[in-house]
Amino acid sequence: MSRFRPPPWLVLLLPAIIILTAVVMIPLLLSLYSSFTPYRLTRPETLYKWIGTFNYEKAMKSAHFWAAFGRTILLLTIALNLEMLMGLGLALLVNKVTYGQRALRTVMMFPMMFSPILVGFQFKFIFNDNVGLVNNALQSLGLSNVAIPWLVDGQLAFTAILVAEMWSSTSVFAILILAGLFAVPRDPIEAAKVDGCTPWQSFRHITLPYIMPFIYIALAIRSLDVARAYDIVQIMTNGGPARRTELLWTLIGRTGYVDAKMGYANAMGYISIFLAIFFTIYFFRKLNAARSELGMAG
Amino acid sequence: MRIRKLKSLLCATALVAVSGHAGAGEFDGVTLQAKLIGGQQYEALYARIGEWEAKTGAKVDVISKKNHFELDKEFKSDLAAGTLGWCVGSNHSSFASQYPSLYTDLTPYLTAEFIGEYVPSNIAASKIGDALVMLPRAQFDVSALYYLKSIYEDEDNKAAYKAKTGRELAPPDTWDEYKEQAIFFTDAPNFYGTQYAGKDEAIVGRFYELVISEGGQLFNDDWSPAFNSDAGKRALGWFVDLYEAGAVPPGTTSYLWDDLGQGFASGTIALNLDWPGWAGFFNGEDSSKAAGNVGVKVQPAGSAGVRTGWSGHHGFSVTEACENKEAAASLVAWLTNEDSQKLESSAGPLPTRTAVWDHVVSSAEGDAYRTEVLKAFQAAASHAFPAPQTPYWIEATNLIYPELQAAILGDKSIDEALGDAQEAVDEMMQENGVY
Repeated sequence: MSRFRPPPWLVLLLPAIIILTAVVMIPLLLSLYSSFTPYRLTRPETLYKWIGTFNYEKAMKSAHFWAAFGRTILLLTIALNLEMLMGLGLALLVNKVTYGQRALRTVMMFPMMFSPILVGFQFKFIFNDNVGLVNNALQSLGLSNVAIPWLVDGQLAFTAILVAEMWSSTSVFAILILAGLFAVPRDPIEAAKVDGCTPWQSFRHITLPYIMPFIYIALAIRSLDVARAYDIVQIMTNGGPARRTELLWTLIGRTGYVDAKMGYANAMGYISIFLAIFFTIYFFRKLNAARSELGMAG
Repeated sequence: MRIRKLKSLLCATALVAVSGHAGAGEFDGVTLQAKLIGGQQYEALYARIGEWEAKTGAKVDVISKKNHFELDKEFKSDLAAGTLGWCVGSNHSSFASQYPSLYTDLTPYLTAEFIGEYVPSNIAASKIGDALVMLPRAQFDVSALYYLKSIYEDEDNKAAYKAKTGRELAPPDTWDEYKEQAIFFTDAPNFYGTQYAGKDEAIVGRFYELVISEGGQLFNDDWSPAFNSDAGKRALGWFVDLYEAGAVPPGTTSYLWDDLGQGFASGTIALNLDWPGWAGFFNGEDSSKAAGNVGVKVQPAGSAGVRTGWSGHHGFSVTEACENKEAAASLVAWLTNEDSQKLESSAGPLPTRTAVWDHVVSSAEGDAYRTEVLKAFQAAASHAFPAPQTPYWIEATNLIYPELQAAILGDKSIDEALGDAQEAVDEMMQENGVY
């Protein structure tokens, strides 16, 4: 009688398989299943009622969901572009510094050390219409004699959130691009100088292609970050007023945990995940293209 | 003979337990896990848990202390995960109906006489159907009108108001007068006539009580929404008119209770409908610029002659899954008995037991401000009514408040906003199988 002996590769992979199954696969499958049920946290028995694609249809037909979806993409697009431009500028400036650069790099990373929740509270106070720093400064300087409703007006609130996001995360771009700048070889730049290239031409045709892979990595990381933006928005406006700053995850968070409608929240979550997947694929394609341009594609 | 002895012993034990004064060693070896609302203001009462432990021999293990919103999320997670091994939980009349299966009916563990010692309207608001799911503590909330006295004593104000309206200037008794005076007093951006909570359950609660005071209702008997009515439109119009007139701070739609409290204490708000817990803060020299200048009056009435009175109270509940319900009920009774309520209400909060009301009013004699506050809130309490007792109240408020905000900010007309809110709530109720 021969006993079953699993192949060595299976034995070696088994711990990883078990951990991944327990930590990732089971919750993922359970949440996917629950998105086909009317599951409410307060009524556990609803987890066993199958309602097909009702939640998905409801989300697809919901104007509020698509408005939040669109707003998230808008925030993503504007925030990523502005952060990238500012981060690039910051990195180029810091790269020029010859004395105290290390100290500057450390200071540049300070905003990344704050919890997003605290950043939210900080900017909520700064933009408060009555006691906030911005309005007080504007009124003291004689630039305004009214209380500007920063967190109430749709566009102003969006701007306020954008400022908070940029304050906390521009340094991600700056640090990664700075790392890219350190890796740019000196020879081609010096050769360009000898050939009479302007500073703009050497930046555009030599420096930029070298740092593009770093920019795309930063974009991919931050696109996932902004696509799941929740904490800062939750604290500053909670998606309001009148849904003017509602993003995907403030909507999904409220539906799941306050309204306790976890099935519906999961369905919206699964639709939203496609957004994150799309941006990740897009930026990784761009990254590979940039790498092959440099002859680095593997 | 032995059986009869045992029976009488059991009866005696039960009697002692239901009276809220458990006998020594009665629950020896029992450990109760509790999830309680946290905060400095509640600690004095929790110190009495030690006395109950000494009396009964039981132990209380407080495994969670959070505010009600966080507790609410934790209870929902517990229900979902089935982690219901704990026994005693803090509860609130506005949240209670969301957990119909979580808490047990306390009636079998208490005498009718003991229950009769609480204010009847508070007991009614502590029930889901016929089940008494919590015992109210001395943390009763209903809003009355706070105002700055000085602006009503100002001769220029009196003359200008008389010239404008033909009436004498006095704190308002109707919501129309309130609106008119708020607009009259406003001198933005330095001084505003009033302010209101502008989001979440807070604004829907205020809207709810205004709808009632206008003669309408938020829900029909079958829980279908009923606020898209003339009364509902008048109620929402009150919020919209004040915002449009600039009589409220422009950020009011993002304000919650703390912002309102701080706003009135800054001395830049003339009229403020607010909760009793702020009375001391508003008149405190260290905490408020309005100190010494605060008047308190019963809340105004709507056009139907009904006063607003959305109320809520804290309480303690016992879980259905608790293995020692007698011990847990005894603890809950102890924490809300006369001595406990006297202790809690001595710091300012309003009691929910008739005898304790008499006690706090008589003990405030000689303190003019405290007496004014208590009389105003005693009158306010007589008009109180609870939040709608449906498990979908909070979910409904999450559908209603963005629409109210949309009307206030001018994104939608009052008719559109109420129509959309009514449609959303109707759909939600049907989806949940309510009708």
